[in-house]
Amino acid sequence: MAKFTREVLTVDGVKTVVHTAGSGEPLVFFHGAGTVDGFDFAEPWADKFRVIVPYHPGFGESGDDPTFTDMHDYVMHYLELFDIMKLDRFNLVGLSLGGYLAAKFASEHGHRIKKLALIAPAGMLDAKHPMMDILAVPGDQVVGLLVSNFEVLKKRLPEKLDLDFIGERYRESATVARLLWEHPGDPKFMRYLHRVKNPTLILWGDEDKIIPVQQAETWRKFIPNADIKVYKGAGHLVHLEKPEAVEAVSKFMS
Amino acid sequence: MHGSYRFNAMHFMPYVHLPENHKEFKSVWVDFPNKYYDPEKGHDLYQRYLSELVLADQLGYDAVVVNEHHNTAYSMMPTPNLIAAALIPQTKNCKICIWGTPPNFMLPNRLAEEYAVLDVLSKGRIEVAFPLGTGMEYWSNPVNPATAREKFKESLKIILQAWTEDGPTTHYGQYYTYRFLNPWPRPYQRPHPPCYIVGTGSPETIEIAAELGFGYSAVFVTQQRAVELNENLRKRAAHFGHTIRPDQTPIMSFAYVAETQERAEQEYIGHLQRFFEDFTRTTPHFLAPPGYLSVEQLKMRAAMADKLHGAFDFKTVSSSFFIAVGTPEKVANQIGEWSHQMKTGHINAVMHVADMPHWKTVKNLALFAEEVMPRLRSKSHAPMRIAAE
Repeated sequence: MAKFTREVLTVDGVKTVVHTAGSGEPLVFFHGAGTVDGFDFAEPWADKFRVIVPYHPGFGESGDDPTFTDMHDYVMHYLELFDIMKLDRFNLVGLSLGGYLAAKFASEHGHRIKKLALIAPAGMLDAKHPMMDILAVPGDQVVGLLVSNFEVLKKRLPEKLDLDFIGERYRESATVARLLWEHPGDPKFMRYLHRVKNPTLILWGDEDKIIPVQQAETWRKFIPNADIKVYKGAGHLVHLEKPEAVEAVSKFMS
Repeated sequence: MHGSYRFNAMHFMPYVHLPENHKEFKSVWVDFPNKYYDPEKGHDLYQRYLSELVLADQLGYDAVVVNEHHNTAYSMMPTPNLIAAALIPQTKNCKICIWGTPPNFMLPNRLAEEYAVLDVLSKGRIEVAFPLGTGMEYWSNPVNPATAREKFKESLKIILQAWTEDGPTTHYGQYYTYRFLNPWPRPYQRPHPPCYIVGTGSPETIEIAAELGFGYSAVFVTQQRAVELNENLRKRAAHFGHTIRPDQTPIMSFAYVAETQERAEQEYIGHLQRFFEDFTRTTPHFLAPPGYLSVEQLKMRAAMADKLHGAFDFKTVSSSFFIAVGTPEKVANQIGEWSHQMKTGHINAVMHVADMPHWKTVKNLALFAEEVMPRLRSKSHAPMRIAAE
């Protein structure tokens, strides 16, 4: 399996780290609100695609831009990055917060996207099946909520929660707070979500404790031609728990 | 030199009737259920606490100090301006320090107005402090902790503009737009009441005080750290062309005085222990909401919290923080030493903690006023004698 190579770019003054692997049609992955889960799960995609995994500003290896205060700043950031990388049309996969961003990007710039996959996406205001307010949950409890089988996540965590790890998670939660503290959901996002016309696959674990799996159907109300795949016994990080979910994205994009 | 002495009596006005099972709650802040607040008991406590601050005025304290906290049994003052308004007609000479309302939780013009009203009502007895607000307050108020410092700076600018420039003026900022900034009334003291910043030592906050030439008081930091912070404030203020006077850096302290050392400790330590163990009890999550601290500060404080773990130990606590307990002579000497270290005679002393009963508070206030204050005031114009150990 292809390994990722790391590239450091400057996008509108912000240090942006992009990991790429494989060749073929481009497939961009937007990570979620934390980066503890790593990217090695995406290696199988590199057998068929040129996989492009950027760190969002304020997360992981990329730099900070405290002027980013809403999701649209990230859409603008990616327009710039894709220009720099000369990426015209690509497949897009988004996980959780990255799913929210991917769907927002698609609602504004759908013509740039070939196919869209949303893994347990955030951003949906669903009064009947609300997302957990993750900012209100203490950091040490968050990890336990992310998966059904803790073993798959445990090996990615440091043995002892050291200061650097705590600091890095705090930095990422601060980035999320800048975006979502006052308004965890944006009615305007849903107002324009119907503009997503791309072939879309929605993936969810049926034991997702953070965003209830019932939201998959709510998403389909906005994106009627979306396919839904639900994985039994998986939590929010369904891509870590179920390799077949990763495989399903690959098949769908091919 | 530390200037002349000035003594403030500070009160947190805690709600002392914690339920029996309160230890089951990790925090008495933010999510501590408010069903445990009994307004009838609350009424009695307000009456009592106000009478204690009124007594402080009668005993000759230079100032009384109130402050603001939300969603907590630690303090019954979510709106300290109302407490100050209640104190004004009952007190004659003392300054009333509101240290203070975090500007982020009020519209800036409204805060400028309320402080001005109090200053006019009291004929210029008001002093104010501008805290960023503890992390806990950002879980209790709908304000983003990640942008709190920027918003705080803008609020301060608006308040000072409202007080120092003839209105109407305008303000077009990131968080607020004022087309007619023109608050009536204006403060009694010209250009405005003395202003301080209070904080727990974030360099970002000290920088704001330095830039504005405001006073600064570090709270809940160790003695050693408070000395460093004061030095740093003076240095940074000089950089901005301000000279910080000794009276601008009050020492936040705890004092208890009794006839003998043994008696003082016996009467006081249990209350102090409950103050630290029960009333300040909260979680790291509530202390540091996302973005409230820089990552460096978060890591520094997390490392410090690890070290502070363990049971309450009076000797450790009282030697780390500014806590003076004992005979009048001992307490006076202790304060004299702090004053020398911190280069200020401005002593802000918490005279009541946790579930301390009324009689002890009255005793403490009286003994401190009659036996400690004169000892220090008589020395205040003489050069400080440095212990020659």
